Formats: sequence, structure tokens, C-alpha cells
Amino acid sequence: MNIWFRQHRFAFGGALATLRKAPGSFLFNVLVVAVALALPFAGLTLLDNVRPLSEQLSVDPEISLFVKPGVPREEAQALAPQLQQLLAGNHAKISFVPREQALDNLKSQSDLTDVIETLGGNPLPDSYVMKLEGFTATAGADADRVDLLAEHMRALPGVDSVQVDSAWVKRLAALLGVLRLALLLLAVTLGVVVIAVVFNTIRLQVLTQREEIAVSKLLGATDNFIHRPFYYTGALLGLCAGAVALGAVALALRPLNTAIAEFARLYASDFQLAPLSPLAVAGLLAISAGLGLVGALLSVQRHLARLK
Amino acid sequence: MIEFQSVSKKYSADTLALADVSLNIGKGELVYLAGPSGAGKSTLMKMVAAIERPTSGRVTVNGQDIGKLNKAGVPFLRRNLGLIFQHQRLLNDRNLLANVMLPLIVTGAPKAQAAERARAALDKVGLLDRARVLPMELSGGEQQRVAIARAIVNRPQIILADEPTANLDRAAADRVIDALHAFHSAGVTCVISSHDEQILDAGARVIRLEHGRLVHGGAA
Repeated sequence: MNIWFRQHRFAFGGALATLRKAPGSFLFNVLVVAVALALPFAGLTLLDNVRPLSEQLSVDPEISLFVKPGVPREEAQALAPQLQQLLAGNHAKISFVPREQALDNLKSQSDLTDVIETLGGNPLPDSYVMKLEGFTATAGADADRVDLLAEHMRALPGVDSVQVDSAWVKRLAALLGVLRLALLLLAVTLGVVVIAVVFNTIRLQVLTQREEIAVSKLLGATDNFIHRPFYYTGALLGLCAGAVALGAVALALRPLNTAIAEFARLYASDFQLAPLSPLAVAGLLAISAGLGLVGALLSVQRHLARLK
Repeated sequence: MIEFQSVSKKYSADTLALADVSLNIGKGELVYLAGPSGAGKSTLMKMVAAIERPTSGRVTVNGQDIGKLNKAGVPFLRRNLGLIFQHQRLLNDRNLLANVMLPLIVTGAPKAQAAERARAALDKVGLLDRARVLPMELSGGEQQRVAIARAIVNRPQIILADEPTANLDRAAADRVIDALHAFHSAGVTCVISSHDEQILDAGARVIRLEHGRLVHGGAA
């Protein structure tokens, strides 16, 4: 155990000594790898912030049914039993909203009173609002059922249009799904870039230290003894680059949040991008170090095998 | 201790480096391996250190069959050998002490203990006072003495010196040979190869090779 620990300490010291010999080259490599890592890290930060928002929005779906203009009130109210029949078996709350109440709501909820006054009459139709309980707007099967119900409602006489209010939540969820996939592909691509950069860095180090490696082998060094410093170098490179990339993303959050705050204020929201949790940071640092290690491993296997 | 049984080595179809060589070197012997350049001396040395494997025949070192030695076993075989090369192969970016410590460091020896033994080895070759200088600051003869210190620091059972006096003037060559003789006197088996007939010790056993064939001194 002591020998194992000593040899790892020696290898780690050897890796640090190699970095100290060419700090400029090491820093440059760290920057190159950090740039590659910063993009997926930034995307992950964004998704991490948006995900809870979309989950919060995916509440019980709401269907709004608008009666055709000019349909008498009695006819409009006569739609209620048909709607109840359609929604039978579902937990649904049906509310009839007369056009006068709709106008009052609009006046009270917006600053458009003056504009509405200039219209002279009430342009709004009678409508129904149906809140469905026990559905999830973003879940595939539930969403299909809601769409089917809306389709049946559109076929009822006197109905002008039917709007599923959770449709945009679905779109947002679908968009997030696409973004998540795009981010995954980007991460995989840039992960390969990181591995390639580390691979090449280690290749150059192997070439530089060719004589030292050959002499060490002649003096009884095992392959593990020779490989370990390169593994540490690769992991250190990945770790440092990961830290730089995370730092850059964290720094970028401040100006971004200033811009987002102004935008969110328009929607009466205080939404802000939060930095990643310490656990996520630790995970990303481990992944960065792991990528560096993989690059070093591949390079060492390929290039040291050629040295007799 | 070292045994060659009908050993041949071909590097290619027309390059026969060793042809049917059989010899024995016993424990504690001092053996000179003589012959002109290209006689196969270096190939023979390389086989003892498992740098090369025989094409046919059998090489045994400390009872281990080199031809059957697996890759993982090679480092452990070499830890019992002290290798000295014609071009010392010192690491020029490390001082003498670090160079001499290396055979101990690769075995996982504690740094303090390795440094202590490296200083003792440098003292034996008369270079302790220069432990902190870089190899490039030394003469060829001094560099070769550092290589000897590096070869003996892990207290090997066998020292293999391949042309250790080539490129050295007579005085420097004599000092190198004297140092090797001193270690032989302490009980270490020494195999010294040279194409320089002048360094051969009249009292020592001489194995002579020519064109890859053993022409003299194969039996102990």
C-alpha cells in the first residue's frame, strides 16, 4: 500500500513538474479545452434553469371554447350539457363565461380600458373554460386525450373555435426536448474535441520524454510507473479546463441576468439564471477530469506501445 | 547465473547477429566480452537484459528463461541487473543525484532512502561532491562513472557494461575499469564488453565473438 501510494505521489509530482517546465503550453491547452467545455456547460446551465420553469407550467390543461358571434345566449348555454357529456368520466370543472363578464375581466386585468372604450361595443364572444384535472399537459397520452376532446368540441354546433391553453406548454416542453438533445450532441462532439486535444498534448509529451521513458524501462520501471504521470497530466488538464469553463459561465451569468431581468419585468416575472448547484459543479469537474484521463489513456496506449 | 544454449539471433533474413552461441557465466565472475565491432557483443548483452529475445536457443538469467519471460516480468528481471551503456544515457535535465536515484525510485523506494543510497553510490565513484550538477557539466569519463553509480545503486547481482570505455581517453578508461573491478571484488558478477583489447585484464576470463560466433571462452 505504501509503495502504491508513493508511486502515485511520485507520478503526480512528475506530472506537476512537467507542467511547470512548460507552463505557457499547459495554459494554452487548458484554454483550448475550456472553450470546448464552456459551450455545453453554458447550455446545461440554461436548461437547468428553464427545466423547473417548464415543469411548473405543465399544470392541469385548460380548454377554452368560444361561441360563434351572434349565437343567442340560450343556444350558447345549451352547449353546457353536451360539454358535460363529452367530459364524462374526466375530472373537469366547466365554467360559462358570458361575453359581458369576459369584457369586465379584460378591463380589470389589463391597461387596455381606454382602447376598449373606443371600440364602442363588446367584441368578445360567450365562452366556456374547462379545467381538466388529473392530466399532464406535457405527457404524451394525456395530451392526445385533451386534443381529441378539443376536436369533438369543435364539431359541436355554434362553436367558433376551441383552444387548448396548455398547447404552448407542450411546445415549450418539445422545444426543451430538442434543446436537450442538441446539447447532448454538442456535448458529445465537444467531448471528442477535448479528448483529441489531450491526446495530442500527451503525444507531444511522450515524444519529448522519449529518452527518459526508454532509460526508465531499462532500469526496471513497469509500464504502470511510466504511464501514470501522463494519466495525471491528462486528468489535471481536463480538471483545470473544466474549472476555467465553469468560471467563465458563472461570470457570464451576471451580464446575462441584467438583460434577462429587464425582459422578465415586462412579463411581471423575477426570473434569473442561477449558477449550477455545487453537486452539478462537482459532477462536471469530474467529467472534465475524466475526459482528460480518457484522452491521456488513449494516447499513452497508442504512443508508448511504439517505444521499445 | 547466465547461460546461453545454442542461441541464435536474426534481425532479418540476411542479418545474423548471433549464431549458435553457448556459454556459461557463473556467480561472482568477471568476464570480458571481446571482439570487433559487429561481432554480436551488444546483442548478447541485450539478451541478458531481455531487450532482445533469441530467435532460437535458450537464454537463462538467474534461472529465468528470457524467451519465456512475459512483459510484466521484464522490469523485475532488470532490477537485478546494473546496465552501463557506451553512451551513458544519463537524463540531462536532472542532476547527478536524481539520475542515480532513478533505479530506486522506479521500484517505489522512499525518496529519502533513495537519496541516501544514491549519495553512497556517487561517493564510491568519487563524484559525491558534484551530486547537484547536471551531467552535461561533466567529462565523458565522469559521466561514465555516474552511469556506474546508477548501475550499482540498487545493489544488482549482475553488472552488464556495454563498451563502457569507448570514447574515453586511457586515464578515464582505466578509472572506469578500476571502478568495475572494485564492484566485482565485492562479489558482483561483471560482464564487460569491449572491442578495445588494451583494457582486457590478463587475469580475467575473456569470451571472444567474431561475426556472431563464439570463438573462445564459452565454458566457465
